[in-house]
Amino acid sequence: SYLFIYLFYYITTKATQFFNSGHTNNWAVLVCTSRFWFNYRHVANVLSVYRSVKRLGIPDSHIVLMLADDMACNHRNPKPATVFSHKNMELNVYGDDVEVDYRGYEVTVENFLRVLTGRLPPSTPRSKRLLSDDRSNILIYLTGHGGNGFLKFQDSEEISNVELADAFEQMWQKRRYNELLFIIDTCQGASMYERFYSPNIMALASSQVGEDSLSHQPDLAIGVHLMDRYTFYLLEFLEDIHPASQANMNDLFKVCPKSQCVSTPGHRTDLFLRDPRSVLITDFFGSVRKVEITREAVNLTSAAEQPVEATKEPKSEPLSYVDQLPVAEIIHQKPKQKDWHPPDGFILGLWTLILLVFFKTYGIKHLKHIF
Amino acid sequence: MAAPLTLVLVLAVTIRAVLFRSSLAELISERVEVVSPLNAWKRVVEGLALLDLGVSPYSGDVFHETPLIIYLFHFVVDYAEIVFMIADGITAVCLYLAVQNYNKNVFRKQKYALEADRYPHDCLELMRSPREMHYIPLKVAMFYLLNPFTILSCVAKSTCGLNNAVIALFILSTLKGSALLSAIFLALATYQSIYPLTLFAPALLFLLQRLYIPVNLCRSSFWFFTLQYAFMFVGSLVVIVCLSFFLLGSWDFIPSVYGFILSVPDLTPNIGLFWYFFAEMFEHFRFFFICVFQINIFFYTIPLSIKLKEHPVFLIFMQIAIISIFKSYPTVGDIALYMAFLPAWSHLYRFLRNIFLVSCVLLACSALFPVLWHLWIYAGSANSNFYYAITLLFNVGQILLVSDYFYAYLRREHHLSQGLYLRRKDGSEATLVLK
Repeated sequence: SYLFIYLFYYITTKATQFFNSGHTNNWAVLVCTSRFWFNYRHVANVLSVYRSVKRLGIPDSHIVLMLADDMACNHRNPKPATVFSHKNMELNVYGDDVEVDYRGYEVTVENFLRVLTGRLPPSTPRSKRLLSDDRSNILIYLTGHGGNGFLKFQDSEEISNVELADAFEQMWQKRRYNELLFIIDTCQGASMYERFYSPNIMALASSQVGEDSLSHQPDLAIGVHLMDRYTFYLLEFLEDIHPASQANMNDLFKVCPKSQCVSTPGHRTDLFLRDPRSVLITDFFGSVRKVEITREAVNLTSAAEQPVEATKEPKSEPLSYVDQLPVAEIIHQKPKQKDWHPPDGFILGLWTLILLVFFKTYGIKHLKHIF
Repeated sequence: MAAPLTLVLVLAVTIRAVLFRSSLAELISERVEVVSPLNAWKRVVEGLALLDLGVSPYSGDVFHETPLIIYLFHFVVDYAEIVFMIADGITAVCLYLAVQNYNKNVFRKQKYALEADRYPHDCLELMRSPREMHYIPLKVAMFYLLNPFTILSCVAKSTCGLNNAVIALFILSTLKGSALLSAIFLALATYQSIYPLTLFAPALLFLLQRLYIPVNLCRSSFWFFTLQYAFMFVGSLVVIVCLSFFLLGSWDFIPSVYGFILSVPDLTPNIGLFWYFFAEMFEHFRFFFICVFQINIFFYTIPLSIKLKEHPVFLIFMQIAIISIFKSYPTVGDIALYMAFLPAWSHLYRFLRNIFLVSCVLLACSALFPVLWHLWIYAGSANSNFYYAITLLFNVGQILLVSDYFYAYLRREHHLSQGLYLRRKDGSEATLVLK
């Protein structure tokens, strides 16, 4: 009987772990709110988060990417069709498969709020909608210029923290999210999450009220600052995350301490029901499915025997998700810059021929005059 | 003579370097008269970029250079300007040495003929002296390096400069008498663009002449040497083509390069004759006219070789001129190559009939090309007919130039055998007329 109690306990903990997070799909809303060439870094910020999110498994159909300006094809870009996030151009975050949903002047406060609340005209295409449900974990990332209580859009309008909090409440009441992770990288970013009052929201910001978020490195060839500090270190942190990673939110809170960021990043977890320590990064940044690979056939026909079989299953090889994933292939997915080199056989053949002709024409005996 | 040549080289390099650094370089590399789809530098860079992205550069209609050019520029693409200046320098030095060699031969033959008393007595004023021939090689090098056409072509970084260098190396090796090198460079030149194939005949004639093998179809020595030379040429061509296969591992380059040259799909206006015709051609007749136009280039080889059997170097000049005029995508760089030879025939000046007209036509057309292009493309007040008229006139001027020199050469040869002051049978004065 002790064995039975132990088994039962084991099963339930396994089951609770299995159904722990409560979400079945992931969405991401990534917004860059500033235009003009000197705000290159905001576009690079968003594109690096986009890249990480896509790499970890969220498909483009579940990402709403809003870029207020086109840096890759800007006339002032000396390396057209690229947006770099590292100095020395190590990482081009504008690869060949970036799908921008809202671009240029379509990035407005109204459109952003409509995307969040779902109140879009019927003619809006699916790629521009946030079709989340009550089992969706949504990542919302905002970057641009901001101040105490507001975020500037397109240099002409602003969204206030009250509006944002009300939009999230609308989303909660319409059951449009299961859990929400809100990240903002602007000056005085912490002011934007002060007014939230809906449950299940976790928020991170790059700087406190009264502090400025600073940019990271300028690139002398491109001529502008490439990234903001907080997002730069966030990207560095995320590059080490792979779909089977067990890193949790506490690690995310530690990204970019004051020594690196100059500003003090802040976070808010009081509205969140779960303990941040048990929340995986991939719950928001990746699109991790709960899959267990089995090599045995599962008998679904005899319903009466199922509870007996359910107790027997965990006995044979409980495989966790981590073990089933080829981790080494997914980690550090930086695109490799392939350079073409002529094949060695070609070089060998060509120079052999040239030497042969040379010796045929001038004779071997002339060699002694050369050497 | 090395010092003046070095001076000319330094001057040429200075001019090119100054132009490379100025803002004109961008402007010139976009002119259609200077670059064509075959040899534009923009396309070379594009092809190399495609290769770095892992795509074959021959996919799509961008890149029409041969794989050996890919290999060359893969390593020197950052130093492209220096490469083109070196190519021009090589061409000039090769032409210098070739013409020097040729002049020595000419003078030697003239001396033997004079000793054998083969010239009529009133032809002595047609004789050439070493003093007048002393500066001709330098003039040839100067004509090539300081020709505005060459400078434009070099500043635009058109690979025509490399083609010219290979042809100049071929001419030098032929004139030095090395059959193997001559075959190899001819194979390289043919591999780059197909038309130098027509230079096979004059090279063969020259080498036969040098080895004192008479050009008689019945003789076995003639056939023996011809087969040897042809074997070397075809062999090197096959080796080079197979080697290019191994560069990219595919035969894509053959339709992209040779198919492109022969079938002329790209009808961007240039200074040639093909684009306008084929822009208005009905599809039904296109193949027929492509064949006609292409055969036109190869066609002149046989009659000219028969006529100029004894004078293969002049035949080389004529062939290069015909190639530059009638090829499918000519540029001013091709023209510069045959114009470099003109000082070698400066003794023919007294027999040239249309030189004033021809030079005026060529100068005026060169000046009108950019004007009418601007009027057509930018101002919109002219149309393609205007530009094509100037193209036609330019080519007519070139043809007149070449045929004038041909006439003058033949006339001098005639005088050398028949005497300078011709008399009819009844003793009255006669003039030579070209019918």
